[in-house]
Amino acid sequence: MEFGPIWRALLKNKGGAILIALQIAVTMAIMVNSISIMQERATNMQRPSGMDEANTLTFASISFASDADNRATYINDLEMLRNTPGVINAVGTNSFPLRGGGWSMGLQTEPGEDMGGVGSAIYFGDEHMIETFGVELIDGENFSPEQVVFLDPDNFRWEPYVIVTEALAKTLFPDEEGSVVGKTAYINQNDPVQIIGVIDQLQAPWQGWDEVEHALFSPVKRAEGFARYVVRTEPGMRDELLPQLEEMLASADKTRLIRAAQTFDEVREGAYLGDSAMIKILGFVITLLTIITGLGIVGLASFNVSRRTRQIGIRRALGATKPAIMRYFMLENFMISSVGVVVGGALAIGLNIFMVETFNLTPMSWWVVPAAMIVLWLVGQAAVAGPARRATRIAPSIATRSG
Amino acid sequence: MLKMTDVSKIYRTDTVETHALREFSLTVDEGEFVSVTGPSGSGKTTFLNIAGLLEEMTSGTYELDGRDISKLNDRERSRVRNEKIGFIFQSFNLIPELNIFDNVDVPLRYRGLNAAERKRRIEESLDMVGLASRLKHQPAQLSGGQQQRVAIARALAGEPRFLLADEPTGNLDTHMADSVLDLLSEINSNGVTIIMVTHELTLADRAKRNIFVRDGQVTDAAPEFLRAANG
Ligand SMILES: Nc1ncnc2c1ncn2[C@@H]1O[C@H](COP(=O)(O)OP(=O)(O)O)[C@@H](O)[C@H]1O
Ligand SMILES: [Mg+2]
Repeated sequence: MEFGPIWRALLKNKGGAILIALQIAVTMAIMVNSISIMQERATNMQRPSGMDEANTLTFASISFASDADNRATYINDLEMLRNTPGVINAVGTNSFPLRGGGWSMGLQTEPGEDMGGVGSAIYFGDEHMIETFGVELIDGENFSPEQVVFLDPDNFRWEPYVIVTEALAKTLFPDEEGSVVGKTAYINQNDPVQIIGVIDQLQAPWQGWDEVEHALFSPVKRAEGFARYVVRTEPGMRDELLPQLEEMLASADKTRLIRAAQTFDEVREGAYLGDSAMIKILGFVITLLTIITGLGIVGLASFNVSRRTRQIGIRRALGATKPAIMRYFMLENFMISSVGVVVGGALAIGLNIFMVETFNLTPMSWWVVPAAMIVLWLVGQAAVAGPARRATRIAPSIATRSG
Repeated sequence: MLKMTDVSKIYRTDTVETHALREFSLTVDEGEFVSVTGPSGSGKTTFLNIAGLLEEMTSGTYELDGRDISKLNDRERSRVRNEKIGFIFQSFNLIPELNIFDNVDVPLRYRGLNAAERKRRIEESLDMVGLASRLKHQPAQLSGGQQQRVAIARALAGEPRFLLADEPTGNLDTHMADSVLDLLSEINSNGVTIIMVTHELTLADRAKRNIFVRDGQVTDAAPEFLRAANG
């Protein structure tokens, strides 16, 4: 191969080549870091919430009558919901994963102030929570109906029983080899709560939270004129039941409104709207940058072919075949691209380290750099192919015909 | 060796047809040094381009080294140019981006020779033209005469059977032209067949055989006007 002479010839006219190599390098740095952000977002989006998402729906009931018997409505609503054919179970709760709003409290293993607690999301609900959310009880027991109380807003106190996620249990009791059931933790610094059950997995309502896997159930029913219901249906029944259940509750009590009726798919979509938009925007940006870089390469190669028209004729006269002329430009581009992707690799890694430190981004996967190199090499070769093919059509007689 | 029979070349543009060669017939034997003269526009370069496989003829037959050239495809034509023919052009045609060494190397790389063999041939042929000490120079750093010597070295490095030269001294002063002609004679005495186009009869006379071209055809003798024009 003719690396030596091509490289030396390139160094004689390096202005354009350096600009293109720089463009490739910058494209590469942006591409690599965009991909790594996209990857992080996509990975986040794929995490399970813990819910039986495909078969879950939710809505809120808002009472506007000042003298309404909210508890009676609550009891009646859930009874109707649970008795509807196609409904597996239903529960009244304050929040659920991906909702974006909810309660969180600090938990600690010793009572007292300034102990530094472990944060956890709080889901209030009764003994139907586990089945409705579709989580699995892996240790201990569910709440018994006697443990569940109505929340008294004027006299709030923490009920002494909780069911926690396995992740929360592990963080609270990192050294515990056996069961955490029966252990006591302290909420709100001094209120003891006993762990009576452990569930496999359930996210907190804030999907961007560092401790998103920390959640617990507290045996409390809330009926203060505002109730949030979660309903789990038989597979395939959800979409059909949503308007039906909404209508059923609305007509059962005309002094309240049914709002925020959503399937869980819609909840998820809403929760990750920003992330999916970010993925689309970054995808668009790197596609656009790659196209612009490709066009830059086409431009430089076209210019080089025109500038070298005579020399190409001479080379043909001296015995270069058409493939040899093609190869010349492909190799030249390969060299420019190689400089670009090597510099770009260094830039990309530098930028990634900066982003990891500054924006708490997950460090990129090792394969992103070589993958981007290969993509940009291929883009370069594809971009140069047209001008190079044009070069092969230059006639050898140019060598004698133009003075 | 080189045998053209009734070769025609017609250049067609939208509006005009130029008959650059009309039933052009010529045989050149192994080891000859032939000069081709004729007025401007008579078809000399066209002849040389067809002889050197730089252009295709419109009709006729052309045999080089016993091979029917009209049957070759582009790749085979490139190969014949590379292996059998050395070109020397009026405007030297060195590649400005490459130093002297790399310029002479160009046809050898297309030949696919290994690095050691190429180096040997490059040094040998540059030595022959007296420029062995200028390997790393750029073409622009050399005089016209030196550049043409490099071009000759490039043509020779491939050890061709034929050397085709189109006005090789056209851009050189008389002194330099003479030394280039000396070089060509020496090369010819080593057995290389040379065909040289020139419009200077004094130079043409140094060839062993003179061909005169007029209106795209070989004529028997030098027309008087040409002799007069060149004194
Ligand atoms: N590529 C071309 N297209 C059209 N006409 C051409 C072309 N090349 C040469 N000619 C014409 O062919 C004739 C012979 O040209 P050429 O062989 O270059 O003559 P010479 O070398 O004897 O001066 C001229 O009339 C010239 O204008
Ligand atoms: Mg001419």
